Amino acid sequence: MGAWRQYGALTAVLGACTAAGLWGFANTGGPLPYAKRFASALQQGARDGSGALLDVGRGVVVAGPIRKQGLVGEYVAVVAVLALVGLATYAYTTRRASDPPRR
Amino acid sequence: MAHIHLGDGSFPLWALVLWTTLGGSLVAYVLYRLRTRSVETRHVALAGVAAAASFAVFQLNLPVWGGVHLNLTGLVGILAGPLLGPLVTVVVNVFSAALGHGAVGLLGANTLVNATEALVAFYAFRTLVRANWSPFPAGATAATLGLAAGAFLMGGIVVASGVNGSALPRADLALAVSGMVAVNLGVAVLEGVLTGFVVQFLATVRPDLVGAAADDTTEPSGVAV
Repeated sequence: MGAWRQYGALTAVLGACTAAGLWGFANTGGPLPYAKRFASALQQGARDGSGALLDVGRGVVVAGPIRKQGLVGEYVAVVAVLALVGLATYAYTTRRASDPPRR
Repeated sequence: MAHIHLGDGSFPLWALVLWTTLGGSLVAYVLYRLRTRSVETRHVALAGVAAAASFAVFQLNLPVWGGVHLNLTGLVGILAGPLLGPLVTVVVNVFSAALGHGAVGLLGANTLVNATEALVAFYAFRTLVRANWSPFPAGATAATLGLAAGAFLMGGIVVASGVNGSALPRADLALAVSGMVAVNLGVAVLEGVLTGFVVQFLATVRPDLVGAAADDTTEPSGVAV
């Protein structure tokens, strides 16, 4: 399929989702963290709000439940274990694939 | 990035039982399929790495749309496939709930939502690649569609279940939930484009990884990028 059709279809999908997102953002309280937005929308209903879509000053933070309970160390440990298991399995299979077949 | 951010006890008991049963049934079906088909160890390795990436990103709150986290479930589906992909979402949700991010009682519902994202992304990606789409538009479109499907399912689950302690009439609840679904669609744009770039990168440096899951754990003809 032609590149213009592929990117045209992608643009249409992204455009529709962006428009929906902007509507939802404005109708669920504006710039609220996701968990607060979820709770307030379901308890108080839809309500108007406005604000910046991007708040660079806030930065990237670990999710509230983990941060507030002091579980950041456990979070890092789980990520490390999952990554190590995946990478170790990958290394094992790569090495095994390069071994000559047994007779 | 759809994820039901409610505490334990938010859903009535019948809904809890229903979604847990459906989520458990999905996992049981996937495990049965995995037992009856051979899965290459490299696919398991890829699923492990995908689980680590998904779990890590799942816990990071980004300063866009008010503060959201990504799931990378679209990427998980594309890389790990329709069998290992749902299992990755179970692992990510279990570990997340263990750390307090997501309710333990909603594991079934959240697994259904995230597994749907992975499954739709996988099948959409495979369909688009078979239609000769390039990796970036195929990956981005497939991931966005998968995340959109998950967002709608999440909304449906919440509206169908009702929320304990919410005095909103069902129509007002549906309106509020539709706003949340719409926010998720907005976030899907970010995650979809990110997935597209990752798929494009992998297709350039390791094309075997992108089509790996589809090669022999699903239908005979897989994704060839």
